[in-house]
Formats: sequence, structure tokens, C-alpha cells
Amino acid sequence: MKIETERFVEKAKEGLANESQREVLSRLPVLFKGLRDYAMSTLPDARAALDTGAAIRTNAIARMPELLAQFEENITKNGVTVLWAEDYDDAKEIVLKLAKERGVNMITKGKSMLTEEMGLNAELIASGIDTFETDLGEFIVQQAKRTPFHIVGPAVNITTDEIADLFVKVMGVERTMDLNELTMQARDFLRHKFLSAQMGITGVNMAVAETGTIVLVENEGNIRYSTSAPKTHVAVMGIEKVVPTMNDALHMLRLLTRSCTGQAISSYISLINGPKRPDDIDGPEEVFLVIVDGGRSKIYADPEFREVLQCIKCGSCLNSCPVWTKVGGYAYGWVYSGPIGAVLNPLLVGEDRAKDLYFATSLCGTCKSVCPAGIDHPKLLLKHRERRAFGDKTFGGKKPPLTERLIMSIWSWGLKGNGRYRLGSRLFRLAIKPFVSNGKLTRLPEPGRGFTEVRDLPEPPSKTFRDHWRDAVERKTDGEERSTT
Amino acid sequence: MNTHVALFIPCLVDQFLPDIGTDTARLLRRLGVSVSYDPRQTCCGQPMINAGRTDKARTLAQRFIDIFYDASKDSAVVAPSGSCVYTVTRHYPELLEGEYKKKALELAGRVYELSDYLVNVLGVTDTGSGFTGSVAYHHSCHIVRGLGIMAEPIALMDAVPGAQMLFLPDMDVCCGFGGEFSANYPEISGAMVEDKVNKAVATGAEYLVLAEPGCILNIRGYVEKQGLPLKVLHLAQVLATESGTMGKEAAS
Repeated sequence: MKIETERFVEKAKEGLANESQREVLSRLPVLFKGLRDYAMSTLPDARAALDTGAAIRTNAIARMPELLAQFEENITKNGVTVLWAEDYDDAKEIVLKLAKERGVNMITKGKSMLTEEMGLNAELIASGIDTFETDLGEFIVQQAKRTPFHIVGPAVNITTDEIADLFVKVMGVERTMDLNELTMQARDFLRHKFLSAQMGITGVNMAVAETGTIVLVENEGNIRYSTSAPKTHVAVMGIEKVVPTMNDALHMLRLLTRSCTGQAISSYISLINGPKRPDDIDGPEEVFLVIVDGGRSKIYADPEFREVLQCIKCGSCLNSCPVWTKVGGYAYGWVYSGPIGAVLNPLLVGEDRAKDLYFATSLCGTCKSVCPAGIDHPKLLLKHRERRAFGDKTFGGKKPPLTERLIMSIWSWGLKGNGRYRLGSRLFRLAIKPFVSNGKLTRLPEPGRGFTEVRDLPEPPSKTFRDHWRDAVERKTDGEERSTT
Repeated sequence: MNTHVALFIPCLVDQFLPDIGTDTARLLRRLGVSVSYDPRQTCCGQPMINAGRTDKARTLAQRFIDIFYDASKDSAVVAPSGSCVYTVTRHYPELLEGEYKKKALELAGRVYELSDYLVNVLGVTDTGSGFTGSVAYHHSCHIVRGLGIMAEPIALMDAVPGAQMLFLPDMDVCCGFGGEFSANYPEISGAMVEDKVNKAVATGAEYLVLAEPGCILNIRGYVEKQGLPLKVLHLAQVLATESGTMGKEAAS
């Protein structure tokens, strides 16, 4: 997928100015977060369930290399061919080779964020293979030639009107605004694709090491269709998806569906151990699993950022984020948006390229409070800022400009002594004097410009708190107040 | 029970909102607590941490510990700000090493956000406030999610006989301040504060009360720029209001 993380500010402004999008976004926290909060409340102890989820994912990532080896061994025994890919290009080459060897000319695809990272669809289509996204939202996004707006609801921002027009254009159907009718149109169209596809490609929600099982979670049945109708099923997973036991997977499942869509369980859960066995009535004849590193082992190797890999891509941090629900998903400029995008994208596309993602946040911590995988987003956002401040190059960072460093040095110096602090306070009052009108600062120059663009600042009072305190101490003689000067 | 408090007055309060500091001191004294203030204190270093400058923040953290550690051995440190308390209690121990880290961890146990101190240390909910008016309460991020303090300010407000509490929808959603975020991303931050203020105005409350100085600068600044009638007050200002003084001090 094309990287546009540098354009965050510009695209955020576009998002803010898009009224129909703002309207949709204003309803999302009520809808998604409301459903999520309710679904979590159906657990006997929601906090304990989240903590358990965090423990499972922390443990899984800490033991990732060992668990991957165990998983590979077990799923291979189950009859799945495991193929390892170091980067996106490797992974695309593997999938393409599998398709070409089998003379595949049509593929149905289940929703997978990793394949979005890789840009797999474009590659397959360029090689002459008809590739169809089959998740309704993802189908709409693909046909509209857009990018996913939300990890879970990729087309949540697209209006019924736009979809109606799109379907007329793409499928030649009669225009309708009836939601059920629209869904039936897509279903009808896709059913023929499922029946003629020779290969189905899916992602992986979880990989269970002890049993060698792939877990797939969905509500539409399109993933199950893609894994069972075509002769060949190719699953693509990132190395971070592994969990130790089926018990762990089932607990994460409880949290995943609740966090995603506010469901106690989704309509379909597929546990795939391998290809069709002789007495099975259906299923693919062969199953391949492409395990992709794609920059993840580099994150694993960095103890400060490792916990990012705990993410299970539930999207709940987006739904409750006060920034995401204002600017929308496109602003983030790459596959992942919202708080997880702000911590993960910089590690995958480069810290300097994605600088605004980790600065354009108030660090309010709502993301952390809803995360089922124990990710401390605010801590990681600060970590990114710290890496940048020191010009750390591990993830493509760059030192901030000299002026920024200079301001910080002067400011910090001024705070290191009472005398300088008082002097600074006086100089500050003098410097802003020309901008005061009616006791207010309504238009400051940089670096305060942005603040007063939206708000008025009170003119700093001539007496600071310490002045008041000193005066009070001087006035009093009864010793009620102790000054520790 | 600690009956002495070393005041930790954030730089934002010292420089822009000194009333919050004087009201905090007045309130504590009225509740029988003796109060001291060491004027060597400047800033806890939160802006440096938020900018990623842990080196600069570390120096300020050590300085803070030098000032407060010994002075508060037998008492508590109290601040009318959750984010500054969060900086001291949560960031300092991670920032520092060796002897300073030990001191930071120990100090973290006696540094309190104002409402936390009043309710959980002093055991007070009725502060004898003479405040009157209809009120919506906003939970600031670092107090509610950072420090986990949600019931305390509400209990304190509920115990004010003249305060009519109104329900503010999404009361724990960020107001969009975030320090340098508010200056660097005015469009996004502006949309957030607009949302917060619209919801507060829709409650019909005369006052929006909260306990975080940064959020006060943000929300009050927006209200003033828009010329809205909503009055924005710090919890300390409400609680410190003496009977019969309403309309003279607190609302000024």
C-alpha cells in the first residue's frame, strides 16, 4: 500500500472538513464503543479478562521464536505446507508462484491487514489473476479503489448513496438504496466468484502452537467460503499471531469479538488444522501457510517496542480515540490508523516519515484502557518521541531541527533554578506584552499561534502564585504558614 | 493521617492561574491542614517528557526530588493537577536510576492529586463549601485514566450543598489539550474542545468544573474565544468558596 504518512496534517484537515464523514464518525463511539462496553460487562470480571488477555499476549510474544517453531512442527504434521517470507516481496512472490503453478486465474480473498501491508491484490491483478475481496466492506473498498478506513470496518465511512452508485457501475445492477438489497447484490456477485475461484487467500487471526491450528474470525461466512470452496487455501500470517495453547486462543477470542464488534462471539469461527481428510465432506485439497516477518522481527528485537506485536487488530482503540473519531482513518496514511497505527506505522514505514502520527495525540490513554492485549499506547507514543529527540536511526528516525532543540534547551535551563525561572517569567511577560488586548492573548505568533487560533489565553497575571505566597508570608507573623525558603 | 502538606504548584498554575494555587492552600487550611510552599520549585518536567526529551526531564526530576523528598518525609505533597502528579509518581521512577530512583519510588507514595488527598487521606468529602450553582463535571485524562481517580471529585462535588450536579455525556473523553498537541495541531485539538464545550453547554449548567489546570486553559480559552456563557472552574476554586462569597471570588 502506498505510504502517505507524511501527509497526516493535510489529510487530517481533509477528514475534519468532510461533513458526511464527521457525521459517521460522531456515531461510531456511541455504536462501537457502546456495544463493546456492554459486551465486556457480560463477563464476570471485565478488568480481569483484559489483564488475562494482556498476560497471554505478553507471554506469547516473549516466547515467539520458540512458539513459532512448535506451531510450524504441529501444523506441518497436520498436512499444511509452511512457507517463510522475510519481507513483503518474498511473500508476494511465494503467493504468486503458488497461483501460477496451479494455473489459477481467479482468487477470492478474506480480509487481511497483512496483505494490505504487502499490497498483494495489486500484484496478483497485475499478473492477470482476477482477485476479489469478499468481506463486504473490503469488497466495497476494493471496487471503489480506496484504502481501508478502519481495521475492522474498512468501508464504515462510505455512504449508502456512494455504495449504490458503485454497485451499478461495477455489477451493472439496478440502483437501490435498500441495505438488504445492496447486500444481496454483492452476495450474488461474489457467489459466482467463490464457485469459480481456484484459490482462496485469507489472513490468520491466531495461530495455536500446541495444536497447529489456524483460527479465523468473521461474521459473513466469506472467509469460510474462501477456505472451503477453492481447491487451494493460502493463509498469510505475520509472525506475531502465534499463541501457546487453545485455551489462550479461546480467551483471546472472547476479547477479540467483544472488542471488535461488541459480540460475545462472531457468527463464524473457523479452526483450520489442515486440508480436507478422506472422510471430510468439504474443504480444500491443499493448504499453504505463508508466515511473514515483514519488519516484525526487528520490532521483536527492540525491547522498548516489542509490546506493539501483542496487538490482535481488534480496532477498539480506534473506536474510542478522540483523535481518530475526528480525523478518520485516511489521515494516518497507511494500513493501520488510530492509536495502534500511531505506534505501529512508524516502526514499519519509518519514524521520520510518520512523525505526526505519534505527535498528533493528546496522550489521553483511552486506547490503553480498552486494549485487550495489554498495549500501553501512550507509553509507546512517548517512546517514539524520545527516539526522535535523540535521532535514533533504528527505525528511520531523524533528529529534530536545531531551532526546536534550542528552544527546549533554553526552556529547560530556565527551569533549573528559582532565579532564572523568575527572570524567564518576567521576560515572557514582556515578550507577549505587544500581543495583549483587553487582558487577553488572542493571536500569538509561533510557537503559541496554534493555541490562540482556537482559544484565548488570559494575560499572565502580574503576580504569580509565588508572589502571592511571599506577600502572604510577609504579612503574617503568627507562624501559621511555614516558608521553607 | 498527614496534617501537613507541602504544596506542589504546577508552573502553569503559578504563571497563568495563581487563583487555583491560593484556593488550594485556603481550602486545605480550612480543613485544618498546615500548608507550606517551597518557592524553589519550578516545573515537574512534563513538557520535556511529552517532547521526548527525557534527558532534560531527568534533570528536572532530580531537582524536584531534591526539593520535595526530605521536606515531605512526615507529610504529603499535594498538587491541584493530575498530570503533574502522574509525571512525578509514574514517570520519575522510570526516568531515574540508582538512589534517585529509590527516592522517586518512595516519594511517589506521598504525592497526591488534590481530590485524592482530600477524600482518601483526610477522609473528607464535605469541605464546607459555600458554592452555589448548576455544575457539569469533566474527568481529565490523567486523573481518571492515569491515576484512576474518578469517584473522589464527584463525591466532593456531591457534598457541596449548593451545587446542582448535571450529567455531562462523555465526561471522561479528552478535551483536546495535551500540552504542545493543542498548539501544534489546532484543527484536531480544536474539534475536540468544541465537542467537549458543546456537550457541556447542552447540559444547561452554569459551570463546568474540572481538576486539571491545562484542561482549564484549553476549555476556558475556547469558551472565551467563542463568547459562550459557560464558566469554567477548578475543583479547588469551587471547594474553597466561603459561604456568602459567591459571585465575588469563585466566579471571577
